[in-house]
Amino acid sequence: MADPSPVDLSTADKQRFQRDALPLLDSLYAGALRMTRNPADAEDLVQETMMRAYRSFDRFEEGTNLKAWLFRIMTNAYINTYRKKQREPKKVSHDEIEDFDLYRELKEHDPQWDATPENIVLANLVDSDILEAIDDLPEQFRLAVVLSDVEGFSYAEMAEIMDVPLGTVMSRLHRGRKALQKRLWQVARDRGIVKGESPRS
Amino acid sequence: MSERCKEIFENAYQRAYMLLDGEGLSEAERIEIETHLEECGPCLERVGVEREVISVVITRLRGATPCPEALKQRIFSLLEDA
Repeated sequence: MADPSPVDLSTADKQRFQRDALPLLDSLYAGALRMTRNPADAEDLVQETMMRAYRSFDRFEEGTNLKAWLFRIMTNAYINTYRKKQREPKKVSHDEIEDFDLYRELKEHDPQWDATPENIVLANLVDSDILEAIDDLPEQFRLAVVLSDVEGFSYAEMAEIMDVPLGTVMSRLHRGRKALQKRLWQVARDRGIVKGESPRS
Repeated sequence: MSERCKEIFENAYQRAYMLLDGEGLSEAERIEIETHLEECGPCLERVGVEREVISVVITRLRGATPCPEALKQRIFSLLEDA
C-alpha cells in the first residue's frame, strides 16, 4: 500500500478530501465487500481505493459526483488486483437467466397467489440468504445489481463507473436482477418456504 | 398474456425496470406503460413482483455492512501521514 511519492495536495484539498470522502467509507466498504466477497480483501480494497483517490484528488473535478468517482477508482482497482485471486463465480448462461420468471413461478406455485408485499416469498428469507444469492451472481451482473440497488447509482453513473455504454448497464442490471430472482427462488425452495421442483432452466 | 402485454413487458422487459428505476423512458413511454398497468391486473402484479425483489435488496442490504471502525481509524491516520 505504501507509495513513496509524497502527496502533493494543497491544504484546502486535503481538508476537502477528508471532509467529503471519509463519510463515504460505509458505502465503499459495502461495495467492496460485495465485489470481493471477503472481509479481508474488502478492507484492503477500500484502503487502496482511498489512498489512490487521495493521491489523484487534484484531478477530481469539484462539483461532480465524488461517490461515483471513488467507485470508479475502486472498480478499476478491484478488476486489476483483486479479481485475479477470486474464485471464479458460478457460470450462469444468459438463456437460463432470461428464461426465469419469478411471477410465473409464484403463480404456478399457487394460482390463488396475489402480489401483496407480505405474500412475496422473499419476505421470509433471512438477510444472509439474500447476501449469498447476490454473491453467487456472475461478476458483471453482481456489480450492476450492487451499484444500482445497494449503492443507489443511476444508469449514467453506473456507465461511468463500469466504463461501458448505457445499454450494457441496463442489460447487465436486467439480467442480474433476473438471475438474483432465480437464486432467491432456489433458496426459498431449499428452505421449504415454497415447495416444488427446481426452476426450469 | 396478451400480445399487448408481451409488447410492453416480455419482448422489452427492460422497460419494466426502467419504469421502476424512474430512468431511461421517454415521457410518452412512461405514460404508455402506466396506462397499460391501470388496465391490466396481471401486468400490474408482475411489476409488483419486480418491485418487491428490488426493495428486498434495498431494505436488507443498504447499511447492513458498515465499514469496520478499525479500518476507518487506519485510513484516518494514513491520510494524516500522507
